[in-house]
Amino acid sequence: MDPLILSRIQFGANISFHILFPAITIALGWVLLFFKLRYNRTGDSAWMRAYFTWVKVFALSFAMGVVSGVTMSFQFGTNWPGYMETVGNIAGPLLAYEILTAFFLEAAFLGIMLFGFRRVSNRIHTLATVLVAGGTTVSAFWIIALNSWMQTPAGFEMRDGKAHAVDWWAIVFNPSMPYRLVHMLLASGLTVSFLIAGLSALRYLTGDRSESMWKALRTGVFTAAILIPIQIFAGDQHGLNTLEHQPQKIAAMEANWNTGPNVPLVLFALPDEAARENKFEVAIPDGASLVLRHSTSGVVPGLNDYPGNHPPVFPVFWGFRIMVGTGILMLVVSWSAAFFLKRRHSLPRPLALLMVPMTISGWVATLAGWYTTEIGRQPWLVTGVLRTADAVGPVAGSHVALTLAIYLVLYLALLIAYLGVLVHLALKAAKDGDASPLPGVMNAAMSQPAAGE
Amino acid sequence: MTYDWPTLLPLIFAGLMGLAILIYVILDGFDLGIGILFAAADDHEQDTMIAAIGPFWDANETWLVLAVGLLLVAFPLAHGTILSALYIPVFVLLVGLILRGVAFDFRAKVPAGSKHRWNRIFFLGSAVASLAQGYMLGVYVLGLDVGLGGIAFGALVALCLSAAYAAMGSAWLIYKTEGELQKKAVRWLRTALVLAALGMVAVSLATPFASPRIFDKWFLFPEILYLSPLPILSALLFVWLWRQTFHLPKPNDRHALTPFLTLAAIFALGFAGLAWSFYPFVVPDKLTIWQAASAPESLIVILVGVVVVLPIIIFYSFYAYRVFGGKATDLTYD
Repeated sequence: MDPLILSRIQFGANISFHILFPAITIALGWVLLFFKLRYNRTGDSAWMRAYFTWVKVFALSFAMGVVSGVTMSFQFGTNWPGYMETVGNIAGPLLAYEILTAFFLEAAFLGIMLFGFRRVSNRIHTLATVLVAGGTTVSAFWIIALNSWMQTPAGFEMRDGKAHAVDWWAIVFNPSMPYRLVHMLLASGLTVSFLIAGLSALRYLTGDRSESMWKALRTGVFTAAILIPIQIFAGDQHGLNTLEHQPQKIAAMEANWNTGPNVPLVLFALPDEAARENKFEVAIPDGASLVLRHSTSGVVPGLNDYPGNHPPVFPVFWGFRIMVGTGILMLVVSWSAAFFLKRRHSLPRPLALLMVPMTISGWVATLAGWYTTEIGRQPWLVTGVLRTADAVGPVAGSHVALTLAIYLVLYLALLIAYLGVLVHLALKAAKDGDASPLPGVMNAAMSQPAAGE
Repeated sequence: MTYDWPTLLPLIFAGLMGLAILIYVILDGFDLGIGILFAAADDHEQDTMIAAIGPFWDANETWLVLAVGLLLVAFPLAHGTILSALYIPVFVLLVGLILRGVAFDFRAKVPAGSKHRWNRIFFLGSAVASLAQGYMLGVYVLGLDVGLGGIAFGALVALCLSAAYAAMGSAWLIYKTEGELQKKAVRWLRTALVLAALGMVAVSLATPFASPRIFDKWFLFPEILYLSPLPILSALLFVWLWRQTFHLPKPNDRHALTPFLTLAAIFALGFAGLAWSFYPFVVPDKLTIWQAASAPESLIVILVGVVVVLPIIIFYSFYAYRVFGGKATDLTYD
């Protein structure tokens, strides 16, 4: 078996599994801070109930993120030694800063945030929440900087086949970095708002009308409704940035085989790379030229300009469409839900039923988007610097096949368990409603009682 | 040897990496050890044991990420060589760490009926992760030898390191618990200590005899004079601690933290011995820290971050341990 393709699938599986959890923790940290600050301001214990329900989800997601992140840090060495050997001088410091910030802010304060409400003052507990939320965001900053550098490398020179840093500012703020960072942070915000909205809709459907349910539901729906148009705009800007710096990726995303003006926007097709054409194409005439160049006669790059040097078309084309499709569905659902919550102060049952599977819509869109951009970088690991095939290690294909199979089984089992626990936590919260005991109240001797109880 | 940046930086990073590994082994050692001891505890005791490590384990495990991260970013050549040679054991370690990490959280959140299953997974994951770490240590000590002898020796070290972790776990329980569980922990410590001592002797003997270079570093005159306190002090601490287990717990819970600190000191001494044996190699007898290091201009960038952040991490770790000091109570999200 070919170790290259197996190692790629294994890395893809690991990082796909990993990204699910940071996509939640990055934004959920800020949502928890919002709950905490609302509680500090109003003294309404429903905010603290919402906090304690969702802090459990945060703890679980964080643990899943830590253990799958440990796997990532080993994978570079076990499967891709050529990567650090060639670009270690650039990737090293960026990864180091990611680890240092993740380490210092998140892990150290997580204990206080999760278990310290009774043990430290309210102010310190709020501060711990701020630091954990800040830590997740800062570590995302460094990882996105590294990933973007691999897409659009800058600020370095090659000496003896190794990349050496010349300008750190240019390395960190490389051409695609600001766009990718904003796009990913918004994606995390949307993932969390649909997660909260979806599980609150599940509570709503079981008859829970408690204050903490309403507070979580409104937070989720309104955040989603605000973020989705911003995300559509940011995604468009990111696409234009890709057109400028990685035109071959755009060509694959649009399944455009020939460079030229008046390129149609392909809505549906089965791209056939052997025949270099689209089968069963449904397209809007001049659409791609209009979207990408703002003119029907705009010239859109085609795959014919990059023979043997462009990504596989089928997964990039479909990854992009799944992401955009999910985004449009998010827009429709969140705006309808926001309308009903604002005007009618209730949620129609069919809409609530639709929102439950939409709980994981953020995951679907995030993964589809990452597949588009990462497969879209192929055949390069670092664009123009290092080919993926040249970075793979000397490990036997059979070993990789074995570990890959076990990882897949493990990840699937963990994913099922994780979703099971989310549903269990939501149903438990629905059953307890506003009667769920607040920690500070149970043990008065040690507590700072929650205000309003 | 001249003392300019290209010479000093790899040295500094080797020191930092060593420090991170030592802190990891001590800190995650006690929570992995408690996972191993899960097999010998009943339901209620298991809850208390989890409460004794709950607020700490996330941060403990991050030291491993820092240690491997420093290897990755400061010595990229070594990271590739060591980890592709240890492909399967690294994988086993990761599966173990994944299982115990998630079991820790799942067991507290699933319906009561399936808690047992996650308890078993917590034990299994902790045991597998400890065994894998010990195996890798054994194979590394023999210069990444994966012949039959290397595997057998790796298996021996695997058992002994797991016992050493179990000893750390027991010592932590003596500090964090009271009553029956504390007495039980003292008995666990006594048993685990014997195996841990055996492992330390095995590694100490195997290292010099596997490599003539290391043999010369230890047994030539006058090195043998300065180095002899290292094994002698370790042996004395072992014997003293073993005798202590017959007198613990003491009235008013005096000296409850002493076993843990003693074990930490033994770990540090053993680690210093290993560091002395392998210096200046990061891949035994193949790559020195200077050959494997990143470019100085990259190392200096990392160093700035480390110098700023590391003291803060250590300061806040102490703070967190103080906030959650005292005997473990039921762990609740509050």
